[in-house]
Amino acid sequence: MDGISPSLERYMDLVSMRQKMVSSNIANADTPGYKTKDLDFQASFRSMLDGGGPRPAEVQGLATKNDGNNVDLDREARLLAENALRFSVASNLVKGQIQQIREAIKEGA
Amino acid sequence: MSLFSSLSVSASGMSAQRTRAALLVENIANSETTRTPEGGPYRRKDAVFSTTPVKSEFASELDAQMQTGVRVSSISVDQREPEKQYAPGHPDADANGYVNISRVNPAEDMVDLTSANRSYQANVAAMSAVKDMIQRSIDLLK
Repeated sequence: MDGISPSLERYMDLVSMRQKMVSSNIANADTPGYKTKDLDFQASFRSMLDGGGPRPAEVQGLATKNDGNNVDLDREARLLAENALRFSVASNLVKGQIQQIREAIKEGA
Repeated sequence: MSLFSSLSVSASGMSAQRTRAALLVENIANSETTRTPEGGPYRRKDAVFSTTPVKSEFASELDAQMQTGVRVSSISVDQREPEKQYAPGHPDADANGYVNISRVNPAEDMVDLTSANRSYQANVAAMSAVKDMIQRSIDLLK
C-alpha cells in the first residue's frame, strides 16, 4: 500500500515467520531427533528489505537430549512472548499510519 | 505468508500430546491387568512422535521448510518379559504358583503424563499467541 512504510510490512512478515518456527518448535518439543528452527533476525530483516528471503539459522548453545531433540521450551516461551509484543508494536504503528492517511482524506473532502 | 498454517502446527502438537496422554492413562489403568486378548499380562504402550510437513494449498517451499507439525508415527509396545510374582491362589498362576504381571511402572507413567500435560499447555499458549496476532492484523481494517 502506498504511504505505508514497506519496512514495517517486511518486519511484520518476518515476525510472523518467526512465530511459525516457534509454533513448530513447541509442537515438536517431544519429537526424537528434531532440531530447533530459528532465523537470524537482523540478517533476515536486512535481506528482506533488499528484496531477498529470510535467513534460517542454526541455534547455538542448546542442550541436546538423549533422543537427539534440542528444543528448550523456556526459550520458545520467551520468543513466543517477544514475537507477540513485536507484532503488536508493528501493527499499532501501521494502524497509526492508516489513521493519518484517513485523516488526510477526510480533511481534503 | 499466512499465519493460519501455524494454527494447524499447534493443533497437530495438541493432538499428538493428547494421544500420548491417552496411552499413558491406559498404562496406569492396566498396571495390574494379567489377562489381555493377545494373551499374557498387559504391556506398556507409548507414542512415538515424528515430524510431518504442514499441508496447505498455499504453503510455499519456504513455508514447508520453516514449519513442521508433529504426528504419532507409531505406538511402541513394551517387549520385555513380564515380571513374575508368587501368588499361588491367582487364577492366572502357572504350575509353580507364579503369575506373569505387567512391567508398567506407574511412577514413570505419572511423570510422562505430567510432561504430556505441560507440552499440551505449551501448544495451547502458542496457538493463542498466533490467534492474537491474526486478530491484530484483522483490527488494522477497522
